[in-house]
Amino acid sequence: MTGTITKFAAVILLLSFCSCRNTNIRPGGPTFPVADSVPAAEAEKLSEEAVADIIQNIASPVEIASILQSMQVPFTAGYLAPVQGADRLTTNFRKAVMLGIYGSDLGYLNIYGKTGNSVDLLSVIKRLADGLRVGQYFDFETLKRLSASKSDTDSLLFLSVNSYNQIDRYLRDNDQGSISALMITGVWIEGQYLATQVALSHDDEILRDRIGEQKIILGDLLMLLRPYRGSSEEYGSLYGMMEQISTKYADVKVSYRLGEPDTKEENGRLVVVQHEESIVEMTDDQLSEIAGLSKEVRNKLISGN
Amino acid sequence: MRNSLIILTIALVFLPLAAAGQPASDDVVSSCVISAGENTTYLKDFRVQLPKAAPDAAVPVYKANIYLMRNMKYRFSVCDTPGSGGELFITLYDQGKEIISSYNSSSGKKYSSVDFFCNKTGLYTIWYSFIDGKQGSGVGVVCMIR
Repeated sequence: MTGTITKFAAVILLLSFCSCRNTNIRPGGPTFPVADSVPAAEAEKLSEEAVADIIQNIASPVEIASILQSMQVPFTAGYLAPVQGADRLTTNFRKAVMLGIYGSDLGYLNIYGKTGNSVDLLSVIKRLADGLRVGQYFDFETLKRLSASKSDTDSLLFLSVNSYNQIDRYLRDNDQGSISALMITGVWIEGQYLATQVALSHDDEILRDRIGEQKIILGDLLMLLRPYRGSSEEYGSLYGMMEQISTKYADVKVSYRLGEPDTKEENGRLVVVQHEESIVEMTDDQLSEIAGLSKEVRNKLISGN
Repeated sequence: MRNSLIILTIALVFLPLAAAGQPASDDVVSSCVISAGENTTYLKDFRVQLPKAAPDAAVPVYKANIYLMRNMKYRFSVCDTPGSGGELFITLYDQGKEIISSYNSSSGKKYSSVDFFCNKTGLYTIWYSFIDGKQGSGVGVVCMIR
């Protein structure tokens, strides 16, 4: 009896302590008052934390696809990265980049409701995630079931995007920022490829603006990759390619027009309409060059050459 | 026997305290995404767990940077973890200037979600905190309105 009570109590204590350890507070999450002056070494550390905050929202696998859908651009399977050969990826570098690229493709498929086509892609994503030891965040069976049933696109979108968010969070919290950065870059380059390829054949102001605005985001993406560029030859090569895309953006102008926001209440919800605007100026030639180089970089990353 | 009872007592006393301090679970995230509405697409969630504000100190805040894009409509929803001591609210800043908050401290009115029609692409900062600096746990969800 005594032994049973002891074991029971010990299990309860163990569970409670384990669950306490498993908090999701990120480093730098809760912020408390800090001193006005920060030593240089601390400043460097803070800077890294700021970058870590930036990266988690740098690229979304669904926003570009959503714009394309709202433009009523037809779905094109030809834009998807090939899944053949994904099993032969050996380095974590390539697995992480391809995980990002396929994540973006998954968002494209799901936004367009082409869920039946995504089962093969899901299998590849699962294998890559397992290879990076983050497969536990990918509820493959549920995703596969939702994809096959084509009945609940919202749940499918939530689960797939949430899986990527959880993987990213895990990598950053476990000192694998370099892998997270590669995955984010993969998501970004595939979204950029999709947007620019469509923009070449569909003249749409919103899409053009979105491509031009990547000038802002690309700067932060480079800042994110910079600490790892010397870690391997392929990392250095990736950084160099991203820098080249950034160079193509040098003459794209992004300016701002000031304005005060309007606030109103609608159906019990607070709604704010922003009137401050960002304005993009990008010529056809600039778009063409950015599109060409983005395609080249994306294809190099896929082929591994 | 006496040692066992002591351990059991400690466990039973600390377990509820530990549970109250738990971060938001996947279930809370899922229900918060559902509460955002049918015409939305989930983008991001932030699991927030903050201590009680110390006397005469600033209210604890969870900060996150997020890129928001021109011509997109976003919905920011907040949900409290069951048993949370405080009520979570969000404030969105653009370069230090407050754009929107789901809690009006003057009127005491709190919204479970706020919509933001974005016209300026850039990096915004989200602050999550609990009303009156209470200890709490909750989740903030960012969705795109379709």
